[in-house]
Amino acid sequence: MNIIETHSLGKSYGTTKALHDCNLAIPEGHVAALVGPNGAGKSTLLNLAVGLAAPTSGELSVLGGYRAGSLPALDGIGFVAQDTPLYKNLSAADMLHLTRNLNRHFDQAYAEARLAELGIPQKRKAGKLSGGQQAQLALTLALARRPRLLVLDEPVAMLDPIARHDFMATVLTAATDDGVSVLLSSHVLAELERVADYLIMMSLGRIQVAGEVDDLLAGHRVLTGPTAEAGRYDERTVVHVRGGDAQAHLLVRSTADDPVPRGWEAHPVGLEELALAYLREPGAAALPGPVPSWDADPAEMTR
Amino acid sequence: MPIGQRDSDRVGAQNSPIEFRLDPASGVPTYLQLVHQVEHALRLGYLKPGDQLPKVRDVVASLAINPNTVSKAYRELETKGLIVGRPGQGTFILATLSQVALPELTGLRRSLRGWLAKADTAGLDESGISALVASELRGFYERRSGSRSSAPSGETEGVA
Amino acid sequence: MTALTTMSASTLVKESADLRPLPWRRMAWVTWRQHRTPLIGVVALTGALALCLLIVGLQLHHAYAAAIACHPANSAACTATVAHFNGIGNFLTNGLLFLVVPPLIGAFVGAPLLAREFEAGTFRYAWSQGFGRWRWTLAKLVALGVVVAVASGTLSVLASWYYRPYFASGNQSLSLTTFNPLNPVLFEQRGVAFAAWTLAAFAIGALAGVLIRRVVPAIVTTLAVCGALTFATGGWLRMHYLTPLVTRGLNVPGASRIVSQWGSRGGRVVFTGPPTFPIYQQYCPAQAGLGKGGGAGSGNPLQCLAQHGFTFWTSYQPASRFWAFQWIEGGWLLALSVLLLAVTVWLVRRRAV
Repeated sequence: MNIIETHSLGKSYGTTKALHDCNLAIPEGHVAALVGPNGAGKSTLLNLAVGLAAPTSGELSVLGGYRAGSLPALDGIGFVAQDTPLYKNLSAADMLHLTRNLNRHFDQAYAEARLAELGIPQKRKAGKLSGGQQAQLALTLALARRPRLLVLDEPVAMLDPIARHDFMATVLTAATDDGVSVLLSSHVLAELERVADYLIMMSLGRIQVAGEVDDLLAGHRVLTGPTAEAGRYDERTVVHVRGGDAQAHLLVRSTADDPVPRGWEAHPVGLEELALAYLREPGAAALPGPVPSWDADPAEMTR
Repeated sequence: MPIGQRDSDRVGAQNSPIEFRLDPASGVPTYLQLVHQVEHALRLGYLKPGDQLPKVRDVVASLAINPNTVSKAYRELETKGLIVGRPGQGTFILATLSQVALPELTGLRRSLRGWLAKADTAGLDESGISALVASELRGFYERRSGSRSSAPSGETEGVA
Repeated sequence: MTALTTMSASTLVKESADLRPLPWRRMAWVTWRQHRTPLIGVVALTGALALCLLIVGLQLHHAYAAAIACHPANSAACTATVAHFNGIGNFLTNGLLFLVVPPLIGAFVGAPLLAREFEAGTFRYAWSQGFGRWRWTLAKLVALGVVVAVASGTLSVLASWYYRPYFASGNQSLSLTTFNPLNPVLFEQRGVAFAAWTLAAFAIGALAGVLIRRVVPAIVTTLAVCGALTFATGGWLRMHYLTPLVTRGLNVPGASRIVSQWGSRGGRVVFTGPPTFPIYQQYCPAQAGLGKGGGAGSGNPLQCLAQHGFTFWTSYQPASRFWAFQWIEGGWLLALSVLLLAVTVWLVRRRAV
């Protein structure tokens, strides 16, 4: 079952196109990271997924086939928006009461226990809590609804390292215990590899990359070799090139099974490096299936 | 964390003899770090057959990593025959790492020293030797874990 | 890279007809808790004004009773009671205080309702909850709309009681102050108009909030629109709810409000308003006191003009039409409120961001 599925999804605001022709099929039970530069369309995609906006073209379905924004979709999706919006003059207990009234399911016992664990006094106004506590409160409210999908829009951007760690630990524990699928947009590339097992990269309103992290890492590697020969590699599979006059590194779409040209070395690539490469190349996209080619005769190929 | 309680107070509170740590800057994939830590603990005797490994949930909660990563590490250890998962109970150490007999170990050391001397004579420096060994090591295990049959041992490969 | 299965549009999204919306009563606590302060403010404001009306009103009614019961009518003692009655409660009869209540309520209850959610970003929380955003909006609008209408309606019932002595017939013969019920400021405070104006202001505020999405600009806009609408209605629109009656002459029967006056001669309109200076000068300078010698005019200037062929006309609205006008005004304000609130809900339903 796909927790989010889109088919040629497009969104325009007036004459501005925020999303073009996006195709996604995120399976359930994953922690999916949404990465891309500012203005790439991440927030737009998340707003569409939680039903705050409607598509202009194409289709979007959530939780295995419900229209985003419909009652079953609203029931099953917990959303923590950027800057974790809470009503600043309401107490934590008030926020619990509010969320309980506005939803079909709410685990009051869990929410109260979490607040106690976190050391958040129930009577304190939400505006008086620290940044980390506000984020944890917003997260508690979302998780107490027992959603099937948790959507987080840059949740840890304003948090200090401990708060960030605790926040993500809570999210991931929920994923472990209750099988909650997670979709989070993030700028913190260094934490991606630890946290995500599905990666979606966006650029200029389009999907650049979408797939399981294991598959993506198995399908890319870095080839290091003479700069002079770098141009012979098929442009369609080269994601990013860096190097000096003599030596170059090519991040390419290819698997460990593909032969390495003589004089070149192959290295596996980490998720952060992969993400950075795609961020640097807004025009690159991962085509389905690697297409390696090298204009040289097979005798030159070595293992 | 409730105010007044130190994180280190929790040591020993879990059921397992070990707790994982993570080195985010090491460049080694997370699941491999977990695998190595188990193997290392086994080697040093911190873990013995029958000991329980930390629950997936506890690892996730303390390290803030993806549960599938922990599962992957435990699967890898299970493939190596080191651990076994008992449904409803947890994951337990099955066997120790195969010990290499002392005479064999001594023989391996001696031949290694000889090879090092040759490499040094050929002009390889320390990092050159390290790189060569690392790449051969990787290739060796890749081939061993079931990829296509190997080409003739790459004597003609150039090395930076 | 995973291969995507191509789904045809019809199978991608399945209909979910079996889930029923959450019960409306869930919004009661939500609305109360989030709008506690403005609601308390409304109650406090109307309560304070009601108290004023009550205290001064009791004095007024007693003074009135004393004045009309006093005999003989022209004695010094009775003149004193009349003067006492005439001198009571000027600041309230001014009525301007009351006139600002509907726009204030509209601006401070209606405008922040949605504008604050947008400004603070909390709509991203509120409208991703299970209740659904247009139902959330509708519940709040209806609940708060009813409260402000009832509060202001109660106040205007009290105001109607307060002003009753001023509308009794026979006041003029005793030199007691009389007001015309159709006078602006007075009209809006009584009958159904006050509640209708408050509801309309609330609806204007709510719509301003969803269009402007910032609290202070929405408040300012609401005050401006309400003010303009009030002036336009009081100054012109109200006088044309029903076709004004027309009579000859410059005097109108009973308590009526003059809409316009004009004079004609030979079938053609010659001047608008009462007779003007140039007309007197041309035709009846002596009667109007404009002769070479100056001094008071001799005779009746209007009779003189009439002899010259002038006919005077006055169009007016009789005070008896007070209630008809109240229903008309209440009616169109109610319709406007419902329309604006419906548009607000529709805008929220259409899109949030």
